Amino acid sequence: MSTNTLVLTGTRTNERLGAVLVAAFLGLGLVFMAGFAPAMALHNAAHDFRHTQNFPCH
Amino acid sequence: MIIRLVSAALVAGFLAAIVATGLQLALTSPLIIAAERYETQAQAPVSPPAPGFASLVVRVHGGHDHGAKDPGVSGGETAPAWQPGPGLPRMAFTALATLVGGVGYALLLGAVLLACGREPTPETGLRFAVAGFLAVALAPALGLPPELPGMDAAPLADRQFWWVMTAVATAMGLYLIAIRRAPISIAGGLVLIVAPHLAGAPETSHAASALPAGYAAQFAARSLGIAFVFWAVIGLAYGWAWALFGRKATAHA
Repeated sequence: MSTNTLVLTGTRTNERLGAVLVAAFLGLGLVFMAGFAPAMALHNAAHDFRHTQNFPCH
Repeated sequence: MIIRLVSAALVAGFLAAIVATGLQLALTSPLIIAAERYETQAQAPVSPPAPGFASLVVRVHGGHDHGAKDPGVSGGETAPAWQPGPGLPRMAFTALATLVGGVGYALLLGAVLLACGREPTPETGLRFAVAGFLAVALAPALGLPPELPGMDAAPLADRQFWWVMTAVATAMGLYLIAIRRAPISIAGGLVLIVAPHLAGAPETSHAASALPAGYAAQFAARSLGIAFVFWAVIGLAYGWAWALFGRKATAHA
């Protein structure tokens, strides 16, 4: 277990939190764009991907 | 650290998108295109009513389906909205969407690994990727099976809401069970995972469709298989790329 755990110090914790938040925000944004964005052009462009990845579509 | 995370996610998303795009074009896109033939056949007799009335109906329907977030977009069915041309452009946009989705999922995977304090290796990456597959692919598919175009379904907003709720609840449940591991959190996790299914997904249509059932069954199985491969590659490649960029950073320093 200890080998799997990142060593944490004060500054690294802050940096880590920032990285987690930025990555989560970016990731959610991209997944929303590919899977949920209601704009018709985006829907049509991502249509086959949405169906295959089982995002609700139409 | 954020640079390393984003770089690794870009690499993982890219590799996963290559694999998944190949599988999609070979396995599911032909089924989608075949199903669209039945969809347009089924819609053809319904379209003729007076143009004014029809456009009003479709507009209201479109507004309901796609929410009030984007008033500039009226129901796509009235004025034909832009869509990629058949053949190569369509494949290219499928690949692009897969890339965007893959990088998005990889970023989320990286964020979760970091938040849980796990060093990303191919092994932990794969483990968390399997959890990701369970949360966003398998659990929502239990209530809302992967659908081909032309299969009747509940209103889009209801399905999207249930999908997101199920994915979030399953992810939190898996976290409580696999990472917290206390008896009370395992019980809570099980409740979270089961709850969306007890609450019930928006009902799938039982109306008969001209679409051969074999297509739908084949599509559902292939869709889940592709989703699993997609996630597995994301997890493995993310762990691999994380180490790669770490080594580079220390070499430069």
